[in-house]
Amino acid sequence: MTFVCRFVSLSLAISLLGLTGAFGASVETLEVVHKKALKEGGTLNFYGTLAQVNAEKILPVFEKQFPGIKVNHVDATSDKLVARAVTEARGGKTLGDILQIPLENVTQAHDQGLLLETNLPEAADYPAGLKGAFWVSSDLQYFIAAWNTNLVKKGEEPKSYDDFLHPRWKGRLIAEPRDLEMLLAFAKYKFKSDEKAIDYWKKIAAQNVEFHKGHSQLAELLVAGQAAACLTCYSHHYPSRIKKGAPVNYMLSEGVASINGTAIFKNAPHPNTALLFARWVASLEGQKVMAQGGRNPAHPKVDPVDKTKTDITYFITASDLKEFPKYDKIWKEIFKLR
Amino acid sequence: MTTATMPRTARVGFSLDPALLIPLVGAGVLIYLAVLPLLMLFIGSFQAEVAPREFVYTLKNYQNAYASQYTYSTFVNSLIFASGSSGLTFLLGTTLAWLTERTDTPLRKIFVPLAVVPLILPGVLESIAWIFLLSPKFGYVNVFLMNIFGLQSPPFNVFSLPGMIWVHSVGQVPLAFLLMVAAFKSMDPSLEESAMMSGAGTWQTFKRITLRLLMPTAASVLLILFVRTLESFETPALIGIPARIYVYTSEIYLAFNEYPPDYGRGGALAVGLLLLSAVGVWLYTRSTKESKKFQTVTGKAFRPRQFELGRWRWAGLGFLLTYFVFVVLLPFLVLFWASFLPFFATPGWDSLSKLSIENYRYLGTFRPFWDAMQNSLILATMTATVAMILTSLVAWIVYKSRIRGAWILDFLAFVPITIPGIVMGMALILLYVAFPLPIYGTIWVLMIAYVTRYIPYGMRSASGSILQIHSELEEAASASGASWWETFKRVTLPLLRPGLVAGWIYIFIVSFREFSTSVLLATGESRVLSILLFTMFEQGQVTVVAAIGVLMIVTLLSIVAIFYKLTGRIGIQT
Repeated sequence: MTFVCRFVSLSLAISLLGLTGAFGASVETLEVVHKKALKEGGTLNFYGTLAQVNAEKILPVFEKQFPGIKVNHVDATSDKLVARAVTEARGGKTLGDILQIPLENVTQAHDQGLLLETNLPEAADYPAGLKGAFWVSSDLQYFIAAWNTNLVKKGEEPKSYDDFLHPRWKGRLIAEPRDLEMLLAFAKYKFKSDEKAIDYWKKIAAQNVEFHKGHSQLAELLVAGQAAACLTCYSHHYPSRIKKGAPVNYMLSEGVASINGTAIFKNAPHPNTALLFARWVASLEGQKVMAQGGRNPAHPKVDPVDKTKTDITYFITASDLKEFPKYDKIWKEIFKLR
Repeated sequence: MTTATMPRTARVGFSLDPALLIPLVGAGVLIYLAVLPLLMLFIGSFQAEVAPREFVYTLKNYQNAYASQYTYSTFVNSLIFASGSSGLTFLLGTTLAWLTERTDTPLRKIFVPLAVVPLILPGVLESIAWIFLLSPKFGYVNVFLMNIFGLQSPPFNVFSLPGMIWVHSVGQVPLAFLLMVAAFKSMDPSLEESAMMSGAGTWQTFKRITLRLLMPTAASVLLILFVRTLESFETPALIGIPARIYVYTSEIYLAFNEYPPDYGRGGALAVGLLLLSAVGVWLYTRSTKESKKFQTVTGKAFRPRQFELGRWRWAGLGFLLTYFVFVVLLPFLVLFWASFLPFFATPGWDSLSKLSIENYRYLGTFRPFWDAMQNSLILATMTATVAMILTSLVAWIVYKSRIRGAWILDFLAFVPITIPGIVMGMALILLYVAFPLPIYGTIWVLMIAYVTRYIPYGMRSASGSILQIHSELEEAASASGASWWETFKRVTLPLLRPGLVAGWIYIFIVSFREFSTSVLLATGESRVLSILLFTMFEQGQVTVVAAIGVLMIVTLLSIVAIFYKLTGRIGIQT
């Protein structure tokens, strides 16, 4: 059905193009969408993992640019947000308008039939790997290594992931238990071999890694001195902490990148408000605001404000997602996680 | 004959007589609040979703919940957590109660109000404070001890089962303390005196008389502490889950909050926890009835005799001081200190230069904080008010109305005490997400949850006061022509006021700090302070969390102080 609809609308758009001779005549401006959104009551239910420190710099800009719209930010970890949306759907309700979480979890919501397939005009600026039928990338996150400068001697700072195999790191490492992306990316892009990647992480497991849930908490634990180094931290967590004088530093020589995606809920209570936000956050302007708010924008023409991109990046693409279950199993076996 | 039938017809004509209607409405409200969610939960635990919104009935959920590879470890963890914690809480609470009530330890009277102070510290903050103190590498206590004694490894690790037991116990001590103080106060000293007269020493008397007399009470206190630990979620959430030590409440939470959510398994676990808790509560009420047979309370006016500790008095004082400095004061201090830091750091001279009021300034313009503060205040005020009105009506019907079957109301009002907070949250999600009334995701669903959970507490204070009012007063009013409502409003209610106020304050405090039900129900606009603390702690803004904690404690203290001033007494009941 959707295919037919899209086909019809596409042919309609093409014939319109032919008639008017003006490219993009069928695209509504954000101002028009804003007017429609206001008629929906002026609320946007935003299910997103944006941490408060980022959200408070990003969401108010949107509210200011589109007066009369208030963002109700339901923030939790990504699996909690998907679980909540599934629970609500089970009761026959859709409360969320926008879902903005890691792509892996966006796909889970899509598998449950919760997301709208839509083609945002702003998506045209993005390369194929950063958009899909039901999502556009909002930002990227880089999994990197970081260390506590009080606990790591000068000259012993890690230069690459291989350095962590040195015995001096034994019992001094922390990581997030759910970051199977590291194994997947190492297998497919760093070593280009499952065997070598598994061997590497087994050796790391022998260093007695301590696991803590939540990347923000990992960063905070590292600042406090719970461990000397963190293996699977997010790069965008560090510049702000370093500016405050926290005794940490981070490694940008190599890392794993993964995608966060924005999607609109099917049957969203405020469909135009959702569309307005999805289009704004994907636009050049919205992406600049994301950068100002401390995230790594996905838009090819916008750079992050702080240095958070890695030199060598093992990029996890949308097509890698189907292999998550396989690597998840191996990751858990290596580290004896449940 | 005609005269005899007259009033009967008249009564039929007034079928809306409040004396009949109100018990029915009361029963209806209680069934709606306490029984309906449990029914939903029970049905849900036998359902499996085969296709979106298509359900079949099955026993598989129970199999998944109780025969998985993790069943055993969860069971063992829960058992160790609950028995360890109830044991330690009991030991600390009883020692405090005994030293302050029954001995001649110097300065003991000062410590009585101090022992109750931790009640003001919400469970989430208690856990956070102890993480600051006992984290293996950066916890202040560990760092201090390692520096002083040159230790190679930290002596304590809060992220462990003993750590969880410790943190939960110190939060529960006030409860054990209050229950044991009551027990010590009501003890007949004549038995102890007889023992002394027959030549038994202090220790022998304590061991052979006091302890034995206390046995039934002790058993029931231990039981209630065990059940409460089993139901608790603060420590399992903040310390257990990061340390990957799972107990029943965290399994239920994760069944709901991890993808894919497994309501069936969560429901089956919740039904199990509910049954455990119900059996515990049933045993508790039975044992407290039994304990009356021991006749520790008689009609005589007496004052329990004090044990003379001799030189050991100073050891007693030492214990009290150590306890209050390290267990009561330290968590408050570390929160206060951390709230002035830009990020959490081990203590040292360099951190002194980093102290600032930046976190407080940040909170000044931080909208989620003010939204949550407003929600928490509105919810606590409304819950306390609604619960006290409801329970005073129910208590009046049960104890005063002489309506047959009123005990059913009493029973219904007691049911919620068996429902663990997390189970209540889960049941209400299942109920209201599909309910025509659009309150899911709003603070109203939280209010329903809180009122239901605290009805038993309200009943306790309301029935206590109602039983003290002699029916003569009400009979006089009704003989003078007052209607049922007028009697209730002008005679019963004013006499009830002190008990109601005490109950109100208690429910206000527990609602303001509520966590385990809210964690599943509060989102976005309906977020309350305890949940904001939890989310921000998970997001790593730990020093801002400390500042919110300090403001939360200050708010609670000032509200209690205002009420204390207004009413002249503080009523913390258990």
